[in-house]
Amino acid sequence: MERRNSGWKFSLHCSAVFLCLLLSACGRGELDTLRFKNEQVLYGQTARIQGFDPAKAGDVASSMMIGRVYEGLLEYAYLDRPYHVEPMLAAELPEISNDGLTYTFHLRKGIFFQDDPCFPGGKGRELTAGDFVYSIKRVADLKNASSGYWAFNGRIAGLEAFRASSAGNTPTDYAAPVKGLTAPDRYTLQIQLTEPYPQLLWVLAMHYAFAVPREAVDYYGADFVNHPVGTGAYILRKWKRNYRIEFIRNPKWAETGRIETYPSTGTEADRAAGLLDDAGKQLPFVDRIVQFVVDDAATAWMMFLSGQFSFSGISRDNWDAVITPGSDLVSELKKQKIELISGPTLDLFYIGFNLDDPVVGRNKKLRQALSCAFNPALLVQYYNGRIKPVYGPLPDPLPGFKPDPTAYSFNLEKARQLLAEAGYADGIDPATGRRLELTLELGGASPDVRQVVDLMAGMFDKIGVVLKASYNNWPAFLEKLDRRQAQLFQLGWVADYPDPENFLQLFYGANTSPGPNHSNYENPEFDRLYERLRTLLPGPEKDRLCTRMAELVIEDCPWIFMYQPMDFALVHNWLKNYKPHNFPYTMAKYHRVDNDTWNAWKAKNRGHD
Amino acid sequence: MKEKRNSLWRDAWQRLKKNRLAMICLGIILFYTALAVYGETVYQVYRAKDQTPFYQKTDLSQAYHPPSSRHWMGTDALGRDVMQRLIQGTRIAYKVGIVTSLIAIPIGVFFGCLAGYFGGRVDDFVVWLYSTFASIPGLLFILAIAMVVGKGLLGIYLGIGLTTWVGLCRLIRGEVIKHKEQAYVLAARALGLSWPRILFRHILPNVFHVIIVTFTLRFPAAVSTEVFMSFLGIGVANEPSWGVMINSARMRLWHGVWWEMTFVTVAIFGLVLAFNLLGDALRDALDPRLRRGEN
Repeated sequence: MERRNSGWKFSLHCSAVFLCLLLSACGRGELDTLRFKNEQVLYGQTARIQGFDPAKAGDVASSMMIGRVYEGLLEYAYLDRPYHVEPMLAAELPEISNDGLTYTFHLRKGIFFQDDPCFPGGKGRELTAGDFVYSIKRVADLKNASSGYWAFNGRIAGLEAFRASSAGNTPTDYAAPVKGLTAPDRYTLQIQLTEPYPQLLWVLAMHYAFAVPREAVDYYGADFVNHPVGTGAYILRKWKRNYRIEFIRNPKWAETGRIETYPSTGTEADRAAGLLDDAGKQLPFVDRIVQFVVDDAATAWMMFLSGQFSFSGISRDNWDAVITPGSDLVSELKKQKIELISGPTLDLFYIGFNLDDPVVGRNKKLRQALSCAFNPALLVQYYNGRIKPVYGPLPDPLPGFKPDPTAYSFNLEKARQLLAEAGYADGIDPATGRRLELTLELGGASPDVRQVVDLMAGMFDKIGVVLKASYNNWPAFLEKLDRRQAQLFQLGWVADYPDPENFLQLFYGANTSPGPNHSNYENPEFDRLYERLRTLLPGPEKDRLCTRMAELVIEDCPWIFMYQPMDFALVHNWLKNYKPHNFPYTMAKYHRVDNDTWNAWKAKNRGHD
Repeated sequence: MKEKRNSLWRDAWQRLKKNRLAMICLGIILFYTALAVYGETVYQVYRAKDQTPFYQKTDLSQAYHPPSSRHWMGTDALGRDVMQRLIQGTRIAYKVGIVTSLIAIPIGVFFGCLAGYFGGRVDDFVVWLYSTFASIPGLLFILAIAMVVGKGLLGIYLGIGLTTWVGLCRLIRGEVIKHKEQAYVLAARALGLSWPRILFRHILPNVFHVIIVTFTLRFPAAVSTEVFMSFLGIGVANEPSWGVMINSARMRLWHGVWWEMTFVTVAIFGLVLAFNLLGDALRDALDPRLRRGEN
């Protein structure tokens, strides 16, 4: 689903330095007036968001915002690792038929949508199974151009036909029955699959399957993207596009007596970290969430230091100042009781070759040579150890992950030899008599992106290949990928759910551009294995398949595997219950702000002049 | 005619020489020019040899070294010598200054001459044209052109070149209007000379000082615009432009990595200041009316 060029938590953008100084100077005052005494307000940063339509949004930042307002049948358990889902709007996990094709969900009773003018009398009505039928149909509706249809594509019986019928100019008929998507009664949802789809449970925890009330879509029309109407813990209060988003606690929960509680089971480590202090207490804790769009890493950092943000990522340039060589927090920050929290991410960054390209596409040896020239140690050094090198298409800890270098990992001798076998001895292109020149397409031009590119140009220079960068803005970059015009491109993949299938689909022949397989990689054997893999339940057979498929990809080199980022976050001591999660979309309700601690911090750190 | 012109230029030079500040600026500019020529030579030599130039070679073990005897201006995030990259930046700045002038000045002079000389409909058209251009916010226009022709130097050349001729065009038009009523033009016309000859052989040399002064003033402006565009990431790619350098330098500034930012800023400051002061001095030296006022 999400494609990006660099980690959003530490992506760097442009703005002038003096701005940071200004901001840190004015950070002493109160951020906002509280709406009532001792209101819990959580301040944070966000990237630009597309809007609040669960069917349309496709980026991480939008998903997070949608997850505040909307809810799905299932959600990830907050504290438990490895990840698993647990019921949210469903009363319990679904009943699955023996053939793995029919999923029956029983919904919780007494769940209400928030009050909104779109409902009769402005009063939010009760959630029913029909809302899920409607929401999934919306994702399938061609007119919505949903970025999430892949999640249901070909899986639910009859949805294909519904999608086909939504083409054309007449309004889509949502009353048209879909065989695999039915609501036998008010609180029962039945999903009939065309083939086993074990990933369905992950998918149902994603925002594409969140419950959307039809009244809101009809009432707001094209403006629905700005007017979220959900059942979640928060409702949108104010949104200034590209500047500030504000949520407040959903009053409907108290009104209808809906009670959610903080998880009460966890590991010893969780208990030691204080993550179980609130066990069994009623959610949500925070009364109001305010998030600012801050593009500039330096500005965001200043806002964190001045206490305006409760948590922050660590940009590459701040790393040295924040983390000691022993991977601990520097004493100045420790003195302020700032806490360092780290964990691996399920993201993978790579350089893709466009296999349609006349130069790199038809020349496997050339791709292997370039792969051998890529030196991950330099990137690790550049990022100060905030990344882990990867040697295959699957990140740690998925099955098929390659912990060690492979035949096409860094090896300059081998790179030169392969390059000669590819027909470019010493990098000289026989067609021009000069060094081979390759163009790398990038989706941004921030200093960080530029420096990584310069670093890679240096790696390829060692075998005599010239790497030229072509900087695009993000939409133009995606357009080039979709039109298969890129030669090389740098991209990242953020897992939609913790299943190797989610990464391996990026090499599936049916997913070539404009699908997510931007390398346009096609390998009949891989495709055959993939088709088997996608219906397999986890187990040794699946692990074996993953390993085999990873090996195929490594041999064909449609990508140069770059790295898997580590997630490091800094948290002020007044923010409680913060545990990094790869799929944190609905997790805001677990966070708590300790106002006394915050006030004490403010008095201590901002009390002068 | 020839003798008179020579004496005007020699006269101007004499007066410029007496202006110590102007001479210092000229010296600074010559120094920058030498750096640019050196940078271009290095660039061309490596291009001819088909090698990656040393100022592009990365070495992380050398990253963020402060100024020392080995690296006079320190090293950047990837261990590259800041001074060498600064010199390459000078080369880019000069290229931008010169090429955009070569685009903008002929356009401005041509339209200014025509409008001033012919007046009437031609003048109306030219005034309409440059008013239209002037009414479009300059930076947006430059960005739009750069987007159309693509990023990189070509976009910058055309973007700046095609948008900055308006001022010169106005000046030239005014000067030509003044000159076309003067006796020597009337005499040339009475002799039956063709209009291109009158315009470009007789009038143009007499308004040439306007062009020189404009050049010295628009050169630093073009450089600043290039730096600005590269800073925003829509300018130079794959080459060490000053704008790119400033943009990457600012990320570590608050850690005390001051050298890259400082030296690049000083370089820009020096270039812009020298050109502007020299431009002022040249205007004084070349303006006949100011000369009379002096006496």
